[in-house]
Amino acid sequence: MSVFVIELAKLRALRSVWLAAGVLFVLPWIWSFAPDLPKVYGLALVSAYQMPTLSLLTVMQFVLPLLVSVSVAELIGAEVTARTLATAVLRPVTRSQILAAKLAVALIYPLLLLAILLVSSLLAGARFGLGAFYGGSGLGAGGFAGLGLTSPALALGQILRAYLLAWCSLLPVAALALLCAVWSLQTALATLATIVALAAMRLLVVFPGIRPLLLTSHLDLYQAAPSTVGSSAVLLAIYLVLFVAGCFYLFDRRDL
Amino acid sequence: MTVEGTSESGIWVDRLAKRFGRRTVLEQISFTVQPGQVYALAGPNGSGKTTLIHCVCGLTFPTRGQVRLGGEDVHARSVAAHAKMGALVESPAAFYGHLSGRENLRLHARLAARGGLKVSEDRIREVFTLLELVAVADRPVSVYSLGQRQRLGVAAAILGHPQVLILDEPTSGLDPLGIGLIHRVLAELASEGCAVLLSTHHLREVASYASVVGILGAGRLIDQVDLKLRQRAYRFLVDQPAKAAAALQSLPGVRRAQTRSPYAVALLDSEQVIPGALRQLQSDGVAVFEVGPDVFDLYEYYRDRMEQVY
Repeated sequence: MSVFVIELAKLRALRSVWLAAGVLFVLPWIWSFAPDLPKVYGLALVSAYQMPTLSLLTVMQFVLPLLVSVSVAELIGAEVTARTLATAVLRPVTRSQILAAKLAVALIYPLLLLAILLVSSLLAGARFGLGAFYGGSGLGAGGFAGLGLTSPALALGQILRAYLLAWCSLLPVAALALLCAVWSLQTALATLATIVALAAMRLLVVFPGIRPLLLTSHLDLYQAAPSTVGSSAVLLAIYLVLFVAGCFYLFDRRDL
Repeated sequence: MTVEGTSESGIWVDRLAKRFGRRTVLEQISFTVQPGQVYALAGPNGSGKTTLIHCVCGLTFPTRGQVRLGGEDVHARSVAAHAKMGALVESPAAFYGHLSGRENLRLHARLAARGGLKVSEDRIREVFTLLELVAVADRPVSVYSLGQRQRLGVAAAILGHPQVLILDEPTSGLDPLGIGLIHRVLAELASEGCAVLLSTHHLREVASYASVVGILGAGRLIDQVDLKLRQRAYRFLVDQPAKAAAALQSLPGVRRAQTRSPYAVALLDSEQVIPGALRQLQSDGVAVFEVGPDVFDLYEYYRDRMEQVY
């Protein structure tokens, strides 16, 4: 437990974490005032409960994976640069214990970012009202137009489910970033490697045979119909296990 | 070179080799450091000192060979080995700059506790006092001078009363007083039974308390100088050095005799051997003009050895 607490404290000290938190807090406010929302998204905001979905739509494909990649890569890279990783490894703690603590922090980190995004989105949209509204949260039947009156409880339920699913789809991204960091031992190279890997996967969508197997095809899991969530979750879990196994295998054999 | 001594205590390095790709950095390195010994590694830049230190403390995996610390394989049983080890492998020592020196040491204490080592607040205070860092203990490490940081590194290394201490250039960046302080601390730890391995360029200073000096050149351990033995070397100024050396070699109490014209130099068990040696030389017809301790200059010796290698 104490190694995890130490790692959590280290995460808090990373500048990229504060930058990510700041970006995700500010973005919903900017979107809530965007004049061309109806033109671009065909959306006229009528409720605070539409803002969290709009935020996810705008950040899930690129911004969040990028922010997660940078900070997770920094969990290793910053310590290698400062040479503090070597200091920890020389204490009576196994490398696996150190990595497990970093992995736990890396996997919790996207949840923290999503929590900031959710709270900020609700705050930014609060001026549109927090009560029942005619329209949809963007996550149920009818999308943002909805199917009539939507209660706050229904909207919140849809939003929380969507954010949890978004977290699930970011878990393999965090694990991939950690794997790249363990491989490269550098923040910049690990981030670049993660982003390139994700970009390459996006480019492969032109091959219909492998499209369903690509990690990037499941980053919009939060919008998925309940019937497809299970298969997507299994695939994401396979990615997660593979990346995590790679991390432990490499870190246990890496010269530091 | 094969390893001598026991693998159950201190530091035991057996036929260690390390390659990075096609480049061989270390080759067939074997040595031991017994409890109470200080083993100083010397060698020019790029000779492999840091790689060797990293291999010995478990940061780097050797291509071949084995390292045991306190009887534990540092690569296969790292937790058990590291529980017995204190190390400073960075220069300047690595710490979290936003935390104070005391907070950094508390962090080390928490990690040490994972291996069953209990480090109390009193012990933290003690090492701050020992390394003369009390005045800056509660300041962020980011404002520490290079020397203070390095002394904090030594404080962290000795925090858990290690049986084995491994230090890579611990006096790097220190002023003369700081160097003296570190050397005093290390000598004291060795006298308490700690096995100390350090790499250094400060040969003359380290010669005053090191037991053995290993000289690395081009990735090989080209010489090991037993300084304690050297302290028992005497030189005889004689008219026939070769004859004198042969005569001395045959005497009981003489470990080794050799010529260094115009002297015959002998390693003696004790200075009590000298009167008998003089009598023997006289009876062999060798004229002795002067006898005295053979003052050994490690720096000169090191320079000579390096000239032979490079």
